[in-house]
Amino acid sequence: MKLAVISCIHANLPALDAVLLDSDQHQVDQIFCVGDLVGYGPHPNEVIDKIRELGIPTCAGCWDEDVVEGHNACECSYPSVLAEKRGLTAHEWTNQQVSKDNKDWLATLPQSLKFENLAFVHGSPHSAHEYLLPGINEFLALERVLSTGADALFCGHTHVPYVRTFEDATLQIKLRGPDCHPTSFTAPLKRIINVGSVGEPRHGRPNATYVLYDTDTEAVTLREVSYPYQTTCMDILERGLPAIFAWRLARDLEYAEKAENPTHICTR
Amino acid sequence: MTQWALLSGIRGNLVAYEAVLRDISRQDQSVEQLFILGDSVGLMLDSEALVARIQDPKSDELSPQICRGWWEEQALILYGLGATGDPVELRESEGAEAVERLWRSVSHATIEWIQSLDFGFQELDCLMIHGSTVSVSDSLTPDTPPLRLLDRVVRADVNHLFCGRSGLTFRVEIQSGSLKETLETLETTTTPVTKTVHPKQVVGVGSVGRIPGQATYTLYDPGSGDVDFRRVEYRQTGSHARKGFGR
Repeated sequence: MKLAVISCIHANLPALDAVLLDSDQHQVDQIFCVGDLVGYGPHPNEVIDKIRELGIPTCAGCWDEDVVEGHNACECSYPSVLAEKRGLTAHEWTNQQVSKDNKDWLATLPQSLKFENLAFVHGSPHSAHEYLLPGINEFLALERVLSTGADALFCGHTHVPYVRTFEDATLQIKLRGPDCHPTSFTAPLKRIINVGSVGEPRHGRPNATYVLYDTDTEAVTLREVSYPYQTTCMDILERGLPAIFAWRLARDLEYAEKAENPTHICTR
Repeated sequence: MTQWALLSGIRGNLVAYEAVLRDISRQDQSVEQLFILGDSVGLMLDSEALVARIQDPKSDELSPQICRGWWEEQALILYGLGATGDPVELRESEGAEAVERLWRSVSHATIEWIQSLDFGFQELDCLMIHGSTVSVSDSLTPDTPPLRLLDRVVRADVNHLFCGRSGLTFRVEIQSGSLKETLETLETTTTPVTKTVHPKQVVGVGSVGRIPGQATYTLYDPGSGDVDFRRVEYRQTGSHARKGFGR
């Protein structure tokens, strides 16, 4: 069975359309989405409508949560005060635009999804706001996979796709004290598959990214798909969102918004 | 050579606290620091007396460094000062009546004092905290999956984590560990790299006031790394037994 996993569409309809077309061309059987349908981009309702229309199983992203529950990002979600101000502007705009019906639907999204030996979350199993960056401590990353009971954990949130594979994990444990029993730990092969971002990439080019996964061979393919991002940029400007969002979509990540500490772990 | 005394879970049990202080004073090796890792207050009616006692140590006693515990967090929630406005955890774990009992046993002045408490302390390569870096509710035990224990230590960027939420005395040493990692990005795929973990440990420091007549706490020598679990038997007198001690 061939899966496509998408994330961080961020209200960018041309990017979503391009990814859906690409996944069609790869004869995908099932698509999963790990959240952040809205935020930053100019087409929140159109994106939600399309995901609903296609019946794509979706879990809640941090932006989806914030539209439902009110803005609730911790300070580490933004690397600068400037970035935080822009994020708040985008949140308020999105909150005004998203229809009641779509907000109600966003409120039904689960925190995680399971399919066979696969788990799907937005940020991490612990929080939609936690960044599983490729540089975080490998044992912490492995813990995130094991906490789901899955062999492969699909996530998004960082907007940069990667596959981290962990093999032959062992820990030697010694217990002392009256309430203790001996134990040991080993783990078979586990993977974190970050599917990148459909609508607001941060990998150095404006192309959309997502992941193909073959459940029979367990093969992962990181896909990069070009699309007419200029259309989205124009809509950002015409619909009154901050112009910087169009600029960074066209030129990759704004410098001020690069994570200062790639190993930062949100403890919120 | 000095050592630290690590206490938790006094829960308003002043008699138990006094017994532990006496035990500390009898140690051959001097105790340099006294940490109270939360749950100073509880449902006991003399939580107020306990707070007054730890706020005002005698001249020959150490001034304790105190952080918030689960019970302090519940008290803050009751006063509308917590992360949530609804004491769900308190109600679910202790029953609805506990809400009113805690409300009655903690004064406004104590609430102000609780607000001033730290979430935890980092000294040398040690973290002293009630639950963990995740929350005061995080109860680490010897049965907690080893990788989760390692997660809690590494999150804090320390080697030794001392906690009190479980009330147990235990020491889990993660002596070594390794795994092979491969990273694939859009640009490249690395060859497998072996990563290792340096020794870490999680120590449960026990509970002073949870079990009637028996207090447990921990002595730690940061120089040698020695951990000594202390058990202090004492006679529960006066009002403590009548007031539902041990809940």
